[in-house]
Amino acid sequence: MALVLFSPLVGSVAIPPVTVARIVAHQLTGGLFPANPCAPQPINSSACQALIEIVWDARLPAMVLAILVGAALAFAGGTLQGVFRNPLADPFLLGISAGATVGAALIFLLAIGTANANLLVPLFAFIGALATAGVILLAAQSRRATTETLLLTGVAMNSVLSATLLVLLIYNPLGNLQVTYWLLGGLYGATWGRDGIVFAGLAVGAVFLLLDARRLNVIQLGPEVAQSLGTDPRRSRDRLVLLASFVTAFAVAFAGIIGFVGLIAPHVARRLVGFDYRRVLPVAAAVGAAFLLLAHDLSQLVIPSTELPVGIFTAFVGTPFFIYLLYRRRPTSAEGTG
Amino acid sequence: MSFNPPAEARRRVSWVIVVVVAVVAAAVGVGATAAYFEVYPPSSTPSGSSNVALTDDLGRQVSVSPNPARVVVLAPSIMDSMVRLGLRSHVVGVDCDNAFGGLSADYNASQITQWTLTSAMCVDIAPSLNAEDLLNKTPELMLASTLSPVGNLEEASITYHVPLVILAPSSVGGILVDVTLLGQLFSVTSTAAKLVALLEGALGLAQNVSTTLTNAGTVLPGVLLTYYASPEGSQSPGYFTYGPGTFGQSLIELASGASISAGAAIPYPELSGSQVLADNPQVIVYGTGFGLTLSTYQAGPSWGSLPAVMNGQAFAIDSNYITEADPSMILVGLPFLLHLLHPTLVPG
Repeated sequence: MALVLFSPLVGSVAIPPVTVARIVAHQLTGGLFPANPCAPQPINSSACQALIEIVWDARLPAMVLAILVGAALAFAGGTLQGVFRNPLADPFLLGISAGATVGAALIFLLAIGTANANLLVPLFAFIGALATAGVILLAAQSRRATTETLLLTGVAMNSVLSATLLVLLIYNPLGNLQVTYWLLGGLYGATWGRDGIVFAGLAVGAVFLLLDARRLNVIQLGPEVAQSLGTDPRRSRDRLVLLASFVTAFAVAFAGIIGFVGLIAPHVARRLVGFDYRRVLPVAAAVGAAFLLLAHDLSQLVIPSTELPVGIFTAFVGTPFFIYLLYRRRPTSAEGTG
Repeated sequence: MSFNPPAEARRRVSWVIVVVVAVVAAAVGVGATAAYFEVYPPSSTPSGSSNVALTDDLGRQVSVSPNPARVVVLAPSIMDSMVRLGLRSHVVGVDCDNAFGGLSADYNASQITQWTLTSAMCVDIAPSLNAEDLLNKTPELMLASTLSPVGNLEEASITYHVPLVILAPSSVGGILVDVTLLGQLFSVTSTAAKLVALLEGALGLAQNVSTTLTNAGTVLPGVLLTYYASPEGSQSPGYFTYGPGTFGQSLIELASGASISAGAAIPYPELSGSQVLADNPQVIVYGTGFGLTLSTYQAGPSWGSLPAVMNGQAFAIDSNYITEADPSMILVGLPFLLHLLHPTLVPG
């Protein structure tokens, strides 16, 4: 909550907190109250309009996008950690990030539809992410496919897609910078329209995931026990992986690759509310939203008047926590009993 | 933790929740998508009979109030044209990169001084256009090239209601077209015509040199025009140069040179030391500025063994004159290259 109040104050243009609050109230009341949000500052109407646009059309959409993307990645990460019963699983485990990157890179590096890139980049990234997940799940339909082979198929897809990306980069090295920034993740160019699209995808995916949270609990007991309790472990796994990929694809399409949020948030949630996924998933979403919002604010504060890729900050915070996980691992419900 | 299947009633409630959420989410999504894919009207400013209607270099139809007083320029090449047309006072913001030195990331010291650029004019464009910097300038117009992500600029133009004109010439002739377009936009058509005449004069000189050489049956000198050298010992040591379809390639051809990378498969190839030795250019021109110096290229593979270097035929050129598609490329860069390649025909 404190972050939600603090975030609109962060940016390259210094705006007094009172003015920010007045602008938000002005917009929420359709311009009725207060009538002049910039009062008592002695600035003209066009300068005031600029401040209104900065707060309402630039800062707030970015804040909302951070919340939505953080929640989406945390939902997906928590689900995958439950499905694979591995606390180190994250939303990009199955090559989803590589598929999304290749999709976005096609636009950056081949200059496809340059003028419509802001429409095509999220679309191609989304298609790339889901297509990768789809290929892996199709391979998983084989009767000999196990959870481990599913993971290894994801690793293989990561490799071939990374090689594809390198070929594209060789063709147009001048596009390297755009691809690099996309790989580092960022909430640039957030608009209310983008927020709405991510919200719609997250809402649909989250509801289905929450309804399936009970099955996630059952899966923790192992495939044989799950089967005996009436839960088909393979079909549940495939459905949950698809839902997690769907939610991740929405996040990645509009924010690039942002690591560690989906890894860390479920762990924090489990420490807070235990191992019942009906509680872990929503709490992880809240933690993920707060974490990404904090990283977004930090990304604007380190170098004045510039916004660094938010993935840098999630990595700086996530890496020490990841190392802590490795050296302080103790048996958890997520790992099951073997 | 209970593992009993939910009761029938709870299952129905669950599905009702799913349907309601799906409908709400779909409605939000449709509404948001409509807003996101909003087709912006051709005139992004309040319509007026005096508006200037033009087609920019990407074929976009833009309607702009004539002679806008507050302009944000997001490319040094466009700034060059604006200054030469006497329009510096209209510029309230220029591109910069605060993570890499601010203004000096995109403009050299000479440009910053001569064009009186200040940090207050900075509009950060990396990794993405900083909306706050842009809005704080209360611009009436954005001028940009394709060096900035066009989609990002277009979205900002639509979201913040600032007309956007993309000036990204694809050929040397396009530079003249853009000068004329700016003249129309800012109602300085006669100044623009004079500048175009100067540019045509410079190009005419190059054409005369070419005709002279052709009539004399002179073999054109081989040229390596390089903008960066990856040092020996690095993962991929070599010289980055210009291939087909690039301004660098065009410059060499206009200057009656034969580029050793004319047949490259990609626009910006990297040539290894052995490739350059094999192609044996008579003249090497290397770009300097923005941290690049002679030592950058001396660290390149086989630099000291290249015949052009040993014969004293390696020359520095300000990188701006070979990378920025602007009047200075034609008025300064081209004559310089002509003189380097044909000193007897074009004295310095």
